[in-house]
Amino acid sequence: MTPIVAIRDLTKVYERGGVTVAALDHVTLDIAQGEFLALMGPSGSGKSTLLHIIAGIDRPTGGSCQVGKVTVTELTESELADWRNQNVGFVFQSFNLIPVLSAYENVELPLLLMNLSGTKRKQLVNTALELVGLSDRAHHLPKQLSGGQEQRVAIARAIVTDPALIVADEPTGNLDSHSADEVLQILQTLSSKAIGKTVIMVTHDPRAAGYGTRTLHLEKGRLKE
Amino acid sequence: MNIATFILKNAARNKRRLLLSVLSAAVSLFLLVTLMVVLRELTQPPSDGDSSLRVCVRNKVSLAATLPQRQRAEIEKVPGVVVCSPFVWFGGKFKEDEQMIFGTIACDPEKLPQLLQEMKIDPEEYAAFLKDRTTCLVGHDALESEKFKAMGLKVGDRFTVMSGIYPTTLELKIAGSYRGTIDDRNIFFHHKYLDESLKDWGLTGMWWLRIDKAESMGPVNTAIEAAFANTANEVRAESERAFQMSFVSMLSGLKEVIAGISIAVLITLFLVTASTMSMAIRERFRELAILKAIGYQRRELFAFILAESFGLSALGASIGAGGAWALYTFADMKKATGGFFVSFEVTPHMLGTAALIACILGIASSLAPALSVSRMSVVEALKTLD
Ligand SMILES: Nc1ncnc2c1ncn2[C@@H]1O[C@H](COP(=O)(O)OP(=O)(O)OP(=O)(O)O)[C@@H](O)[C@H]1O
Ligand SMILES: [Mg+2]
Repeated sequence: MTPIVAIRDLTKVYERGGVTVAALDHVTLDIAQGEFLALMGPSGSGKSTLLHIIAGIDRPTGGSCQVGKVTVTELTESELADWRNQNVGFVFQSFNLIPVLSAYENVELPLLLMNLSGTKRKQLVNTALELVGLSDRAHHLPKQLSGGQEQRVAIARAIVTDPALIVADEPTGNLDSHSADEVLQILQTLSSKAIGKTVIMVTHDPRAAGYGTRTLHLEKGRLKE
Repeated sequence: MNIATFILKNAARNKRRLLLSVLSAAVSLFLLVTLMVVLRELTQPPSDGDSSLRVCVRNKVSLAATLPQRQRAEIEKVPGVVVCSPFVWFGGKFKEDEQMIFGTIACDPEKLPQLLQEMKIDPEEYAAFLKDRTTCLVGHDALESEKFKAMGLKVGDRFTVMSGIYPTTLELKIAGSYRGTIDDRNIFFHHKYLDESLKDWGLTGMWWLRIDKAESMGPVNTAIEAAFANTANEVRAESERAFQMSFVSMLSGLKEVIAGISIAVLITLFLVTASTMSMAIRERFRELAILKAIGYQRRELFAFILAESFGLSALGASIGAGGAWALYTFADMKKATGGFFVSFEVTPHMLGTAALIACILGIASSLAPALSVSRMSVVEALKTLD
C-alpha cells in the first residue's frame, strides 16, 4: 500500500548568531492512510516543526515531503494555501476560534473559500458539528463554551472541508482528562475505517498516545523507533 | 455567513473603538469641509450674472485714493458704457459701535436700479428715496438684522452714521428697503449728500459702471484707462469681479493658514486611523494566522483589512461631510454667522474631495497592518500568545 505521507531526508536548520540548531535531522518516514500517528518526544525535539512541514505551513531546509500525489515542499505560497484548504485540517493546543463568530460560523470559515451554495455549506457545517456532538451548541460564541467544547468546534472546523489529513499539536494540552478523552475519541473515530482520515498528533501525554495506532519518538530532531 | 458579515463582525468587535474612530474621521472631515467652504466664501465672493456687466474704475495709484467728479462726463462718452455712478465706500459705523458689518455706500440714486437690475424696491419707497437727499435705502437683510432690531430702526426712522474714512457724520433717514440682490445687506445713500457734508468735495472714491454687453468689457476698460492716461488721476478699470478678487488677494495669508490647518487635520486623522487599524490587527494577529493556515490567501487577508479600514473611513466621511452638507444647506448660515457669510455652500467638488480623502485615508491606514500580515509566517504568529 502506498503511503499517504512520504517524508524523505527532511532537515530543518535554524541559525541564530552563528549557532546552528537542527530542529529536524534527516528524518525519513512513511505514514499510511487511516493511521492515527502519535508523535512524542521531549520539549524542543522538533515535533511541532515536523508537523508544520507536513501540514504545509513551514518549509524544510532540505529533503522532501509528499502528501498523496503532491510534493508539498515544492508548492508556492499561494498554491500551498489552496492545498491546505482542501487537504489539511488543523487542531491546535489553544483552540484558536474566532471569538466574534459563533461555533457554526467558525466551522463555516474554511468553506467560504470554496465555491459552494449556501445550502451545501449548511449541510457540511451541520454534519461536522454533529460528528463532534455539538449540534445543540451551534449558535454559541466560543466564550459561552467549555474548553473541551471549544476544541471539538475546532475539530469540526478542521474536518468540514473533508481533508485527507488532520494535524493536531497537543490538542489535549489545555484540557481536563474527561474533555481530553472526548477529543481523543473523536480523533480516533476520524481515523477509523469508516471515515478513513489520517491523523497526526503531537502529544506529551502517553495516555493520549495510547489512542493512536502507532507512536513515534523524536529526540534532537531524529526519529527513534 | 458570508465574507461581508465576517468583515462586519470583525470591525464591530470593539464597539467603543469603532465608534471613536468613526467619530474622529467624521469630525475631521466635517472640519475639512467647513474649512473648504470658508475658503471658498472668502476667495470667491458671491456673484450674479450681472457682475460681468459691471465695471469698477478706481485710482490707479491706490484703492484709498480718490477721483475727481469731472471724470464722469468723459466716462459716459465711452462707447459701451450704459450707466455711470459715483461709488464711495463710506465705512459707516453707528456711534456706539466700533464696527459695522453693513456696507454704507454713497452713489447716484437715480442710477442704482440700472446698476443692480435684480434689485427689488417698492416704487413708493424708491420715489421717497429719490426725493429726499438725506434718505437711504437699507438692504432687507440689514433691516431685519439683530443690530437694526436692537436699535428699533424701521422705515421712516433716522439714524446717525460716522465715517471710518471721511471726516464727517451723516444723519440718514430710512426711505425704504430693497431685496433680490446677491447681498441684501448694504445701505445706499446719496452721493450728493456726502459731497455737501464734505463742503463741496468734488470727488468720488470710484466709478461704478454698467456696460451694454459682456464683450464690451475689454474695449471699455482699455478706452477708460486710455482716456485718463497721463493726467493727474490715472485710473484702473476692471470688472467688478476682478475688483472683488483684488481684495481677496489681500486674504492670501489667511488662505495659507487655512491650508495649514487642513493639512494638520489630515495628518492627525491619518495617525488616528492608522493606529486604530494597526491596533485592531495586532490584536487579531493570531486569528489571522489561523485563517492563513486554513487556506486564506494573502490577498484575501489584505482585502479584509482594507475593507475594514475603508469602511471605517467611508462611514466617518459620510457622516462628517454629509453632516456638513446638510447643516450648511438646511441651516440659515447667513443668520448664524451674523451675516458674515452669505452663501456658505458645500459644492459637489468639496464632497468629491472629501470622498477622495476618505479613500486615500482608508487605503493608507491599512497599508502597514496589511503589509505585516502578508509578511507573517503562520508558525511565528502561532507562537505569539494572546
Ligand atoms: N524560529 C526559530 N528560531 C530558532 N530556533 C527555533 C525556531 N523555532 C524552533 N526552533 C528550535 O527548533 C527546535 C524544535 O522546535 P519545536 O517547536 O519543533 O519543538 P517541539 O518538539 O515542538 O517542542 P515542544 O514540545 O516544547 O513544543 C527547538 O530546539 C527550537 O528551539
Ligand atoms: Mg511543539
